[in-house]
Amino acid sequence: MIVTAPSAGVAARWPAARPWLGVAVRLGLAAVWLFAGGAKVGDLAASGRAVNAYQVMPYDVATVVGAALPFVELALGLLLLIGLATRLAAGVSAALLLVFVAGIASAWARGLAIDCGCFGDGGQLAAGQSPSYLPELLRDLGFLALAGFLLIWPRTAVSVDGWLAGAPVEDDDE
Amino acid sequence: MSSRKGQKDAARVVRQQLARERRRKRTLWTSLAAVAVLVIAGGIGWAFWSSQRSDNFTPPPGAVGAGTGVVYGAGPVTIELYEDFLCPACAQFQQASGATINQLVAEGKARVVFHPVAYLNRFSTTSYSTRSAAASGCAAQGGKFREYAEALFQRQPPEGGAGLSNAELVDIAAGVGLDRNDFGSCVSDGTYEPWTEHVTEAASKAGVTGTPTVKIDGKEVADRSPAGITAAVEAAGR
Repeated sequence: MIVTAPSAGVAARWPAARPWLGVAVRLGLAAVWLFAGGAKVGDLAASGRAVNAYQVMPYDVATVVGAALPFVELALGLLLLIGLATRLAAGVSAALLLVFVAGIASAWARGLAIDCGCFGDGGQLAAGQSPSYLPELLRDLGFLALAGFLLIWPRTAVSVDGWLAGAPVEDDDE
Repeated sequence: MSSRKGQKDAARVVRQQLARERRRKRTLWTSLAAVAVLVIAGGIGWAFWSSQRSDNFTPPPGAVGAGTGVVYGAGPVTIELYEDFLCPACAQFQQASGATINQLVAEGKARVVFHPVAYLNRFSTTSYSTRSAAASGCAAQGGKFREYAEALFQRQPPEGGAGLSNAELVDIAAGVGLDRNDFGSCVSDGTYEPWTEHVTEAASKAGVTGTPTVKIDGKEVADRSPAGITAAVEAAGR
């Protein structure tokens, strides 16, 4: 009884705590995108080169992707920061992260020696530097978990979504 | 069951349906707005990038035909060097193998095409990679590209700082015997910055993803030591 009581209490408090945990998750993911986009936005040519280093698309396509990506990341970060269309933003985040994970995994599998370019630096590594694919993958999977949380429970406290909806909704399954 | 209760139930069902309908509409509109934000953001990036790149450039005298690098020497084998003046591994490479390459050039065995790329602008607060590469174009104009490039590597600033100032770039030029006034105006006008952009983009297009990259007769050389370079040049010259 004494042992099970706290967990029962936690379970009872979960519906009340979830929107606040959701805020932390949402702001965390927002920070990830804002940092990732902010680090790349100052040098769009370098961003294009980082994409090109994966050698999965023609150079001209890579430069366009490299130029557009930082701005999309910043926009995603802003959407998550204010909590607008959280589920959609979480879905796009998850999709992007899956692409990044696939890209890093394929670079690893093909034996390329590149930096993932996730937070700005990128491209091929100098001789003697070894790529850190495993930490990069684990980090992206962690971010993916954040996006997954928001996909399942998009309704978080202090969000534009919540403000648009007015009073808290009893049934969250939109 | 009383009809009054039935009415109340029906009214509740209608209210719930209306609420659901409102919710669906709201979700649709916020989603559309969010998608629009993301698409517009991507478009801004593309537009911004397209407006940044310029197609007009003037290569300095001594550049190869396509203007993607500066040539020195006249040997039968071509050594292509892709280097960023801020790249520490490039400075190490110059220190280790620079003399060997100069000797191969002096012996008439090889010519060098030096591509001063600006890959590392992120690693200085003042776009030192672009400024130094453009300055090397000014040195080519003055006929002292190789001397100036070597001096830049010797005075290489650390990554993450402001790099060398334009005044310091001019001082180094004067140190290798370039005209201080001509060089100074060339640097302050940014005469060869569009050329640097062209060199950098051409290198990326050619699949050069890191610096230093050394190609001998078009083939990338993994062993950049003096022995490795000499062996590759002799193999190509045979």
